[in-house]
Amino acid sequence: MPAVSPRIHEAPDDLLAAIDYCYEQGWTDGLPVVPPEVSRVRAMLATESRAADTVIARHPATELELSLHAAAVNAVMAGCLPEHFPVLVAAFEAMDRPDFNFHGSTASTGGSAPLLVVSGPYTDEIAMNADVNLFGPGNRANATIGRAVRLILRNVFQMIPGISDKSTQGNPGKYSFCIAERARGNPWPLLCAAQGYPAGVTSVTVFAGGGFCNVENHGGNTPEQVLGSVADAMANYGCITLGQSVVILAPEHMAIVASAGWTRERAQDFLFTHARRSVEGMKGVGKYRDREYDTQHGDGASSLIEPGFVHRGLLPDDILITMGGGDAGGHSCFIPSWSRGRGSIMQHGPINLGRK
Amino acid sequence: MQLYAPTSTAAKRKAFRAPALASLEGMRLGILENGKLNAEEMLAEVGALFVQRHGCTIRTLASKRNASAPAPAATLVKVAQEVDFLITGLGD
Repeated sequence: MPAVSPRIHEAPDDLLAAIDYCYEQGWTDGLPVVPPEVSRVRAMLATESRAADTVIARHPATELELSLHAAAVNAVMAGCLPEHFPVLVAAFEAMDRPDFNFHGSTASTGGSAPLLVVSGPYTDEIAMNADVNLFGPGNRANATIGRAVRLILRNVFQMIPGISDKSTQGNPGKYSFCIAERARGNPWPLLCAAQGYPAGVTSVTVFAGGGFCNVENHGGNTPEQVLGSVADAMANYGCITLGQSVVILAPEHMAIVASAGWTRERAQDFLFTHARRSVEGMKGVGKYRDREYDTQHGDGASSLIEPGFVHRGLLPDDILITMGGGDAGGHSCFIPSWSRGRGSIMQHGPINLGRK
Repeated sequence: MQLYAPTSTAAKRKAFRAPALASLEGMRLGILENGKLNAEEMLAEVGALFVQRHGCTIRTLASKRNASAPAPAATLVKVAQEVDFLITGLGD
């Protein structure tokens, strides 16, 4: 579909009045935005060598398109700096893949928010936070890149609450949900390496996250104890589905797991094995569906799974695990997938730098 | 101060409603179920009412593997050639 020229609005020169103007246009997430003044947008686009009308994502139901230009406008509004823009672009290029199910995950009653996990050296270059208060406020890159995702969903793709975004309750990550993977002291290969990218390449992983579950364990001193509490959170009756999972281990918890020689793969196996509920228990809460494994994963998949039990996810690889957060505290987290099944599959892609 | 609009720069798609059927009598009915719990059962019941009240015939029962994704274009093209109208809905 051919692009049309970006529309220019004549807003008041007074900054406060311009902020009010943005509110009046319905362009905000409820918080004030930086007015997308023309020169700021051009500075954002200067990080890209591709033409401003290059389309990087499409809404599969409405056919609305996200151009680099529109992404830059919303990035300015969110408070991004130009060096943040390549992360935002890579995130939407990853979300554009059909398996992410961009439409469903942003429209559904499930109320998910795209979680961005940025892995690699560029996180330090743009001063992203991978450390204390990881999911909380205070870091410009984390906060504004995540916020720009929401503004694009609202302004470009018109996912308007109550109209096209039917979230029953939503979740706080819908304001901003973007973290860096902690490299400092991380005993495991970083995600970007595990994903197969060459050294020096930073990646972004996108995951339709259904919320945030704190996993507190200050008494466990073995991998089984620490990961046992994570697995229990993953298998709670409210959260258990065949969907994927993200687990961010606190450094204290990671130290216990890794010092015992456990690899990421062993931890994934443990979590998959233990994050389960009996079929009888699932029936007891009304969540069991006969042949659901086959429906979700093809005929015969049920034979792969332990008889009489339902696990979270279909395979250990469905669980993304890494480390993040401050040095102190036995607080890890589990982030469940959106949807009761496998409506969205996490994606990742490289962050392309130096296009200009 | 000049501001860029933060909206899509894609040209708006022209959308058309299908013309209303003059009558439901004897029409060919398709059902598109979305795979959610109870969807097929509920839609089959609705379809049966069309058969009973208007002499419709149920020609197609199509399913989506992913309830929240748009129906594949190939499914819609195929169904459109086989039926006069289609019913769909959630089963929750």
